[in-house]
Amino acid sequence: MGKENPAEKALNLIRGRLCDPTFVFRPLSGSSDSNYSKLKFIVSTSITEGCNNSILLLGPRGSGKAAVLDLVVGDLMEEYPDSVTLIRLNGLLHSEDNCAFKEIARQLCMEHHLLFSKMASFDENSQFIIAMLRECGLAHKTIIFVLDEFDMFAQGKQRLLYSLLDAMQSVTSQAVVVGISSRLDADQLLEKRVRSRFSHRKILFLPPSREEIDSLLEHLLSLPADSSFPSGYVSQFNEKIKSITSDTRFKDMLKTFLNANSTVNSFLKFIFRAVSSMNLESGLLSLENFKTALSSMQRQPKLEAVRDCSILELYLLVCMRRLEVKEQNSYNFISVMKEYKTIHDSFQTSDYYAQNVCLRAFEHLREREVICYAENRGQSQAGEYRPMKLLISASELHQGMRSHACCPAILLKLLDH
Amino acid sequence: MPTIAGPSFSSHEHIAAARSENTVEVNTPRKRKLRSDSAAEVSTPMKLKSPRRCAVSIPRTPMAEVKEESNGKPETQFDCLDVKSKWNPRDEDQMKAVKEALHVSTAPSTVVCREDEQGRVLEFVKGCMEQKKAGSLYICGCPGTGKSLSMEKVRQQAQDWAKQEGLPCLETVSVNCTSLTKTTDIFSKILGENKTGKKAIGSSSPLEQLQIMFSQKRESPSSKMMLIIADEMDYLITRDRGVLHELFMLTTLPFSRCILIGVANAIDLADRFLPKLKSLNCKPLVVTFPAYSMQQILRILQERLVELPYVAFQPKALELCARKVSAASGDMRKALSVCRSALEILETEVKGSIDHEPQTPVTEDQVVKMDHMLAALAKTFKSPVVDTIQSLPQHQQIIVCSAAKAFRGSKKDRTIAELNKLYLEICKSSMITPAGITEFTNMCTVLNDQGIVKLSQARNDKLKRVSLRVDEADITFALKEIRFFRNCLL
Repeated sequence: MGKENPAEKALNLIRGRLCDPTFVFRPLSGSSDSNYSKLKFIVSTSITEGCNNSILLLGPRGSGKAAVLDLVVGDLMEEYPDSVTLIRLNGLLHSEDNCAFKEIARQLCMEHHLLFSKMASFDENSQFIIAMLRECGLAHKTIIFVLDEFDMFAQGKQRLLYSLLDAMQSVTSQAVVVGISSRLDADQLLEKRVRSRFSHRKILFLPPSREEIDSLLEHLLSLPADSSFPSGYVSQFNEKIKSITSDTRFKDMLKTFLNANSTVNSFLKFIFRAVSSMNLESGLLSLENFKTALSSMQRQPKLEAVRDCSILELYLLVCMRRLEVKEQNSYNFISVMKEYKTIHDSFQTSDYYAQNVCLRAFEHLREREVICYAENRGQSQAGEYRPMKLLISASELHQGMRSHACCPAILLKLLDH
Repeated sequence: MPTIAGPSFSSHEHIAAARSENTVEVNTPRKRKLRSDSAAEVSTPMKLKSPRRCAVSIPRTPMAEVKEESNGKPETQFDCLDVKSKWNPRDEDQMKAVKEALHVSTAPSTVVCREDEQGRVLEFVKGCMEQKKAGSLYICGCPGTGKSLSMEKVRQQAQDWAKQEGLPCLETVSVNCTSLTKTTDIFSKILGENKTGKKAIGSSSPLEQLQIMFSQKRESPSSKMMLIIADEMDYLITRDRGVLHELFMLTTLPFSRCILIGVANAIDLADRFLPKLKSLNCKPLVVTFPAYSMQQILRILQERLVELPYVAFQPKALELCARKVSAASGDMRKALSVCRSALEILETEVKGSIDHEPQTPVTEDQVVKMDHMLAALAKTFKSPVVDTIQSLPQHQQIIVCSAAKAFRGSKKDRTIAELNKLYLEICKSSMITPAGITEFTNMCTVLNDQGIVKLSQARNDKLKRVSLRVDEADITFALKEIRFFRNCLL
């Protein structure tokens, strides 16, 4: 009883940390070279000096662009209360001009406690926005426009972008436009007059380096030494973490994982799965946790399907593969049965089943989407005469059979032959 | 004497010259108070009647001024240099002042380098006003070449001139066509109606009202001329080009009194979309605003900085910026943005040094130098493709490599399954465990999101077609450091 609680508490604490982007990206605010500082510098100069700016945040999905922006905006709202208004737009929802202007007007009304009328027309909305920009400029309040999925706004006539960026060029307004996009060429999508008004500042969010990953790991997984945990437990836990991270097997595992997907988001998911499979009895993490997490993140569903097949089903798959190798590109159940019979005759295998059993196995394979009908047209024909095709490649079949629990050796030989 | 003040002047010229030119402006910003008062009293302020004088007068006036200030100050030019160079980048107010001078939204009080075009437009407008005839004008040019700015100046100048000559004052309507909900709203804007959708007198549309107005003789002889400036005119182009035609036809009506100035980017807009006007012999006059050359950009930047009492930029740095921007696009906004970027780089550098050594005094040379400008130019003009490819995870780099190899020939797209085969070959030849097909498809989707490859839509995942969006040269350049990929791409 005494041992359960600290483990559960530790688990909850770590899982809470992993789900909170503010905690994850907080250490970045220390270094002066990071994207956080660059973004904060640009936005805070606009607030303090009143010059308008426009920035683009670029990077693959899940690299923390929106999270860092939220962090910066949160910090600035604390430093300069009452001087910052935030307007958020999303390219998936508001890419149409009418929608976008309505949404901006609505958010401005909410911020400044005005009544918003849903019946307002496009003209009224745009005049309201211009008036608000002027008012806020006079009152030295900065409006931060955040445009998520910026490349979606660049479709069509780009009127919203033109109006916003044009407002940046006038002296009366005090605003910043921050665009977030995963496309590297987002600014090439803009029309040339919109691009001319954009101030070409881009902040690139690159995947973290090995050192950053190591320090992030330590930051996330070390338990704090406060009184809610028994003191021996905390030091034990942190020691175990250190020993795991310095293990070469762990380093190799991490390398395999990062070679496929190196964004911060996927890394957090990986850690989350590892931590969730922690053994609550011992209350400590182990290398196996990370191994299970890795295999669950790099699943190969077709391989697993082949691994779970029965021997008869494997026979049928091998027959289909052999037919493919013999350049017989369209085959149906009857031809597969012929091949099956040929194999049985030439190799005297022990498993030979009747046609209706094989048909059942065939249906099974089709349900698991390992094979399927080649065309949807000939639906009038009976199932046995319709052409079929394999949905897995030869190498997947190979691998699946090799990792099968009890695959007969003759099948492997048949496949290679 | 004036001949001495010629090519022999080096970088000091623009500082001294600009100092005197500053007295040209009648409305000067508050920074002028820092200047010595003698300069203000000595030189006569020149009105902008003949804009050509501005261009010519720069080399002359320093010598003239020095001569006039003959109260024993021969080192006037060098004095002002000393006065100017005490810029402390750590002082926030000074930094703010420089940034404000370079911001795009700060409209300069004189528009330099566009005197020629402004003069032509102004002459045209004046001619129309004097003869009480209607006319149309089309302004074209690349973005960032000073069109809207010049039109504002022309408007003010025309109004001032009308007041001066005793003509009835000019009514002006300035419309940015992106703000119109419907293209026909421009007519209501011209009529001065603010509420759209409401029909005014009777049931005639605003266009019809304008046409009626311009076809009837007005009784009063002192009718006002109307100056209509339509910005971003290509938003008015519809399929049947009706609105644009009607707008220009308004100037051909017998008693029309409007001067229409249309501004857009396309050079041949008038020819392509208004062929009818040619037959009616009232084609609009076309004034092209060419992109800025290096000298012009340099002059404009110097103009903006000259009003400040200190030197913030090394002259060679400004020259480099002007050269690069004029070679790229000639867009003035870009030049200003690059200069501000360089300023910010200097600011971060200074702040960094403050953190390390707070007690050292400011060295004399803390201005924006060539390396700051080079860094700012690199940031603006470099595309993030190379950096991103270099920081992709290894498997995604292999996919990009196999795509580069696959699309070398004539075939420009492949299915995912074919690309997968190439990918497996490369992995096998270098003893790397390949990722499964699901992972592979996911990685292709990630690359598609980033704009490196393009995935077409298909029902089956494996049948989606992949094509490259970046140049193969970029890929080779990005991956040339890694021997493994160098061999791959051979």
